[in-house]
Amino acid sequence: MAILNILHFPDPRLRNKAQVVKSFDDDLRKLAADMLETMYQAPGIGLASIQVNDPRRLVVIDVSENHDDPLCLVNPEILEKHGEHKMDEGCLSVPGVYEPVVRATDIKVRAQNLDGEIIEFEADDLLAVCIQHELDHLDGKLFIDNLSSLKRQRIRKKLEKEDRQAQQDAVGQAL
Amino acid sequence: MNGRTPDPGNPRVAAARLLRQLADGRSISDLLEQGLDAVSPRDRGLVKEFCFGVARWRPRLERIAAQLLSKPIKPKEGEVQALILLGLYQLIYMRVAPHAAVAETVEAARLLRKAWAVGLVNALLRRFQRERETLLTLADADPLSRYAVPDWLFRRIRTDWPDQWEAILQAANSHPPMSLRVNLATNSREQYLSLLAASGIEAAPIPHVPSGLVLGTPMDAESLPGFTEGRVSIQDGGAQLAAVLLDLQAGQQVLDACAAPGGKSGHIMEAAAVRLTAMDLDQRRLERVRQNLQRLGVTAAVVQGDAAKPQGAWADRQYDRILLDVPCSATGVIRRHPDIKLLRRAQDIPALVKIQGEILRAVWPLLKPGGLLLYATCSLLSDENEVQVRRFLEQAPDARERVIMADWGHCRPTGRQTLPGEATMDGFYYACLEKI
Repeated sequence: MAILNILHFPDPRLRNKAQVVKSFDDDLRKLAADMLETMYQAPGIGLASIQVNDPRRLVVIDVSENHDDPLCLVNPEILEKHGEHKMDEGCLSVPGVYEPVVRATDIKVRAQNLDGEIIEFEADDLLAVCIQHELDHLDGKLFIDNLSSLKRQRIRKKLEKEDRQAQQDAVGQAL
Repeated sequence: MNGRTPDPGNPRVAAARLLRQLADGRSISDLLEQGLDAVSPRDRGLVKEFCFGVARWRPRLERIAAQLLSKPIKPKEGEVQALILLGLYQLIYMRVAPHAAVAETVEAARLLRKAWAVGLVNALLRRFQRERETLLTLADADPLSRYAVPDWLFRRIRTDWPDQWEAILQAANSHPPMSLRVNLATNSREQYLSLLAASGIEAAPIPHVPSGLVLGTPMDAESLPGFTEGRVSIQDGGAQLAAVLLDLQAGQQVLDACAAPGGKSGHIMEAAAVRLTAMDLDQRRLERVRQNLQRLGVTAAVVQGDAAKPQGAWADRQYDRILLDVPCSATGVIRRHPDIKLLRRAQDIPALVKIQGEILRAVWPLLKPGGLLLYATCSLLSDENEVQVRRFLEQAPDARERVIMADWGHCRPTGRQTLPGEATMDGFYYACLEKI
């Protein structure tokens, strides 16, 4: 297994749309395992393929307190949405930023597992929020897209500066 | 999605997370060592108060919570359970404005992303406020809830201390004082008292303990005058009786066989110019012993070893004095470590009794004829104390008890016991054994 590089906003590759997975092979399983490891290490509760620059429609999620209940969803789609609430969200691709987002409280999901079998289930609470957040990634959307452009601009400046700083530090260490 | 809460430094968020891990069987001191990084220094005291307070009163808080919940919180939602107990703790025991306690605890549920629990926590805490008197009366009808003590411990203490069990259980839930040990090798207790007075720090002598002082209000150790120079140490008065009972003379060979973290080792070196071997099983905790001795400016042989299986250089020597502060249930120091009530199980006691007996029998041959072994625990349970010592005396023909004549504590069939809260002290047991 390996820790993958997570793209940071405003990286344009975060705007790519993921492609439907057709081959359920060892390579897909390896991607899922690497994404889970990357997510746990971050630490995060959800990660989408687009965030690690892979075009396959795959998200990994674990909202359990003990980090022992991983969920891998291939080609996921939301069939039904009910209710609405607002909760602070954060994103591994937009580190350090937390903003309220309105999401459905209860959803019905259809997806495939890593063997290609179709699964359907209902989700609420944090799991529902997390699934909606990750599915947006697969369509190139970010949770800060609904903020005012001024606010988004400020976030962009902040993250660009931090990433520049991190790069300089890395170069400094290499020298 | 990022799993971090927007505000990991929020004191109630931090406390709920720490308290959830406490349920996994980790000790508060362990948890607080790593768990406070995200919390600002200003709020760390508050988080500690939350954690110690909820640990101390957990059985009582859980009883009240159970009356307010139509069905128990699922085990996997440990953070929500912890938040509910924390909310009740603030309302019952803390001087936080009730509306703030409720609002802040509800906010913490939101920050922990427990959207489903926000309404529940709010409704539960508000209902407690309305029905407070009834709920408390109901909860306190049961002594297990009133004294916030697990059933097995309640039974044992009531059996072992038929006249004192209520006072013991009450004292176990009180806030312990901060006690000091004045280094009598470098200054007298009176000299150090005037040094404290000059710094505006209020303190009083501990009765029966020549080196002991108790502070009016707890404070940071580093801020005590002369602390870094070793003029004073933090130690409970009851623990300071060990070095006194050892009756030390300069030049003696002394073994402290379960030394970590080294409080009593330091005291031994302050009391007389002896040749001390400070030993412990745990290599990591021996580092604490070294630091303690270094701060006091004394030297001793600090060695790793298993007191139950003597071997190596330390086991080839014969000793004039041996301090055997054996691993125990720590039921005498619950007021300082309330998580003992949650972590200790009834089945731990026989295992501890077994290892204590093994250590006592294994170390006894290292004592010179005419030498003195001090058996010590911070337990209140007779199985670990007088029963253990009596069994040893029956089996060892060359051992006899030197009865402790003292005006502190309680005389037991063998040995002597301090009870928590009496003369500021924790609960310690001591028995002096002489080799014929």
